Amino acid sequence: MGLFSRKSKVGKPDAESGLGITRKYSLLQGRTYVVEESPSDISFDAFVNIVSTTVNGSKKTVGLAVSRQHPDLIKQKYGLEATPIYWLATRTGDDVVAPTNLGILTHMLIKFVEENPSGVILLDGLEYLVSNNDFNKVLRVIDQVSDHISQSKSVLIIPVDPRAFTPKELALLERNVEKIVGSRRTS
Amino acid sequence: MKILVVDDSEAFRKLMIELLVRAGFHDVVEAEDFEKAIEAFKKNRPKISFVDMILPGRTGVDLTKAILAVDPGAVIIAMSSIINKKMIRDSLDAGAKDFLLKPTNEIALSAVLAFWSD
Repeated sequence: MGLFSRKSKVGKPDAESGLGITRKYSLLQGRTYVVEESPSDISFDAFVNIVSTTVNGSKKTVGLAVSRQHPDLIKQKYGLEATPIYWLATRTGDDVVAPTNLGILTHMLIKFVEENPSGVILLDGLEYLVSNNDFNKVLRVIDQVSDHISQSKSVLIIPVDPRAFTPKELALLERNVEKIVGSRRTS
Repeated sequence: MKILVVDDSEAFRKLMIELLVRAGFHDVVEAEDFEKAIEAFKKNRPKISFVDMILPGRTGVDLTKAILAVDPGAVIIAMSSIINKKMIRDSLDAGAKDFLLKPTNEIALSAVLAFWSD
């Protein structure tokens, strides 16, 4: 049995039923996107739009989401029925990933990319990960997952609140990734 | 090209108008409910109407049907702050062309405008 094989079981992703609407986001395969925004509206919209639509009759895209928000809230708001959603929290449970368990998180994300080479991952809650770990350790997770992403046709979306990071940390996060600058909503 | 924005939230209408203007669409009219929307539609005949699915008293589906009864060629984009698959299907069945999740952003809005403004 592998080191993480028992605890890092990735729920079997399935394609969402199509919404019959157009694809709004043309994210390039094999790329990692850091979206500067707070709250993570663009990132969630892009993620949900990609898993709920197809382009020119192509195969549906399966997704995996990791978030500080509770999965039930995400499912309710975004109408996700088949997409595995993991909660970054210190509670126990099948769909929970402890913020300090970076090894399990890394393994889970890499496993998803290997099993779903054209999938899309939303990694929300980076600020929470950094508040529970050394920044460089979190950066290493992103680098490792991004390396796997770039060898696949998958896409990784990471919303980031720029206020939560130093300019140096932000620069390190945004190395070798695509950057999208969103807005910061105050109301 | 004229655009109509229908939403009972003034703050959201302002945000939409700001995004539309930034995208180069300056001829925008707004309405806060069903009756004002129909009146604004008849008067201005916008090519695209962004319609919130939940309006005071009436639904976006009702408004979609009413607008299309006036002009079957009108392009209606349904909007909502949650993704309710049944509500989206009902809107599309009523004749809406597409759906936007609120609060929208420049990327999604530009994609919709590029797709439906021709």
